[in-house]
Amino acid sequence: MAELSTSATRPFDAIAAGEPIISFRDVHKSFGDKHILRGITLDFLRGETTVVIGPSGTGKSVCMKLIVGLLVPEKGDVWVAGTNVAEAHERDLMSVRRRIGMMFQDGALFDSMSVGDNIAFPLQRHTKLSDAEIRDQVAHALEQVGLPGIEDSAPSALSGGMRKRVSLARAVITKPEIVMFDEPNSGLDPLTSDEIDGLIGRMKEDLGITFIVISHDIVGTFAVADRIAMLYNGHLIAQGTPDAVLHSDQPTLRSFLARNMDLPPLPGDPR
Amino acid sequence: MLLSSLATALLAPLDTLGRFGRFGARVLALLPSKAWSLRETTTHAGTLTGRCLIPVCATIFPFGAVIGVQGMAIFDLFSAHRLLSSLLSLVIIRELAPVLAAVLVAAQGGASFAAELGAMRIKEELDATAVMGVDPIGWHVVPRVLAMTLVVPLLTTLANAMGVLGGYVVAVGMYDQDHGVFVHHMAQLVGMYDLMASAGKGAVFGLLVGLISTFRGYHASGGAEGVGQAVNDTVVYSVMFILVVNYQMSSLLFGGAGG
Amino acid sequence: MSAVLNGVRKVGAYTYFAGACMRSAFTHGVPWDRVVSESYKVGVRSFPVLFTMALFVGSNLAIQGYAAFSTLGAGSLVGMFVALAGVREVCPLLAATMVAAKAGTEMAAQLAVMRTKEQIDAIEVMAIDPRSELVVPSIIAVMITLPALTVFTIFVSLVSAMAVAVLQLGVDQGEFLSFLVGYLSAYDLFAATLKSVVFGAIIATVSGYFGFYSERGARGVGEATNRAVVTMCIVIITLNFALTSLLYG
Repeated sequence: MAELSTSATRPFDAIAAGEPIISFRDVHKSFGDKHILRGITLDFLRGETTVVIGPSGTGKSVCMKLIVGLLVPEKGDVWVAGTNVAEAHERDLMSVRRRIGMMFQDGALFDSMSVGDNIAFPLQRHTKLSDAEIRDQVAHALEQVGLPGIEDSAPSALSGGMRKRVSLARAVITKPEIVMFDEPNSGLDPLTSDEIDGLIGRMKEDLGITFIVISHDIVGTFAVADRIAMLYNGHLIAQGTPDAVLHSDQPTLRSFLARNMDLPPLPGDPR
Repeated sequence: MLLSSLATALLAPLDTLGRFGRFGARVLALLPSKAWSLRETTTHAGTLTGRCLIPVCATIFPFGAVIGVQGMAIFDLFSAHRLLSSLLSLVIIRELAPVLAAVLVAAQGGASFAAELGAMRIKEELDATAVMGVDPIGWHVVPRVLAMTLVVPLLTTLANAMGVLGGYVVAVGMYDQDHGVFVHHMAQLVGMYDLMASAGKGAVFGLLVGLISTFRGYHASGGAEGVGQAVNDTVVYSVMFILVVNYQMSSLLFGGAGG
Repeated sequence: MSAVLNGVRKVGAYTYFAGACMRSAFTHGVPWDRVVSESYKVGVRSFPVLFTMALFVGSNLAIQGYAAFSTLGAGSLVGMFVALAGVREVCPLLAATMVAAKAGTEMAAQLAVMRTKEQIDAIEVMAIDPRSELVVPSIIAVMITLPALTVFTIFVSLVSAMAVAVLQLGVDQGEFLSFLVGYLSAYDLFAATLKSVVFGAIIATVSGYFGFYSERGARGVGEATNRAVVTMCIVIITLNFALTSLLYG
């Protein structure tokens, strides 16, 4: 098979907006005898919001963990701006991770610290900013996510939606190039879910970040996505703009979308 | 303000103690009834023995060996090496074997009882059992408590042998004490009474650890952290109560002044 | 046979973990604020429990020592027995066991819960080594605190033993003290401290290992805590034998 070349093999500064910044090339991942990812080849473009959809268990979260090196594929390459994280040493992995922020499904906030300390954590460990500067940045980050003034609260005292927003604040405070969201809307009521989508949209405008989202919320997906990729049974069965995906006649994709939203009928659909 | 929080802090352990007492009373009250199954009890006893056998032996054996080493060093001062096996048996049978067996069973068996029941509690399985008309205490708790009360004395008796063996290996194997001398003095200070008292301690400890571990697991709350907390509390309180009760029982069984 | 191989693999994995912790302490630095807060937690939380236990164990030492020696007609030697058995063996083990039971299981449980809630993953993604952040501070904290707690335990149990011997068993106070002080040596105190440093390292690394690599979910947390406690007990007691042989053999 011919080696597919991609701009994701270049360092961060050498990749232009709209070019691939993360590239999966024929990636396979198994857990025991469960072959979860079966040869995924997929690009994530710089500055765009890509949403990965698909039924539960198809390996969407696995893809995300592969990008940051929390998991290692059995086969294939995962290029992230010049580093093949599938084979990288710890030091290279660390420098890649510094440019990525991740929002985990349940927030993954540290229970032993206050909200303010949670958000300040990456700044304290990675920068030499003074306490006062850090406090300012934390306050600003909380304002950005619409939760001003809760620095001293405990994570356990917050609602699910609030925890996710704090987690988002923590993910972006180090101004990463890439931000990843693992199910940002799960467990939220529609109103809060819309708020989170709005937040993501605003951040994209303000910071020009590359967003990668895993989502179950199909309707919201079409609102925020620049590109959509669908995984099914370990394969990538669709990749493209929301418009292209909406009008695709790939049968599995259509039935998946139909189950989750109202679709305009295609010629030949039963009515 | 301060006074009320102080009062709460002091009353909280009393409240827990009260609940523990009620729990224990319920368990004991269910004994004569048909609410518990003998088969469950023997299954738990088997699992418990299987899980705790190696940990108990693996800890009491080096302990006996340590007494051997220290004993030899001390008796060196008095040229009274022959007394080593007497002291060894005394300390092992009266104190170390029952305490160590109980502590290890608490750490291994008690912790897993607390973890099992705790996981059942937070996944609402215990509620489901009750709704189906089966008393969860009768079905889940009583067999475990009984199993512990039976298994700990058994393991204690085994530990008696293993501990003395540990000392034997050091004295005869490493320090070249004469085998006959060791065996002859082994039973000088201890007799049937001590062996039975040792098993008796084991039974009391087993009952205690069984009640503590099932109580904490049964009342776990708060998700995964709750289970961890239940296991933590079980181990800490079991060790504490074992040591405290041990002191009381030693005073009772082996006397104050005069020994 | 497969059980033995499995055990050897686990020992290897543990050794790798402990080694990786030490390495990351040097390459990634140590968050000293955490060391301080951990030391405070371990020390303060174990304090009241150890105090109570030391009282009971000291009393027990006196009772059993007296029972043993009075049959030899030398009941007044109980002071010597208490000093030697207490300082050399019982107190280091008592302190280590209590700290393992309390602080050790807490550390294992906390790490296991963090694993379940993806908090350890979150730390890794933030380009921070979770071992140097979470485990190394505990290792240092326990290695500092346990010796201090052991010395404290020794003091309390000796006082308690004397009280029981003199007030309950009728031993002459002067005799008791002279035998106690006579047989108490600096070497024994050094040995006890050395033992506690080693035990402390074991407690923190073993509980860290089981918590760090726990399986997710409530059952994973329970299992991790369970295995941590038993392994700590067995390793500490076996190492105690090795150390005793080394120091007194």
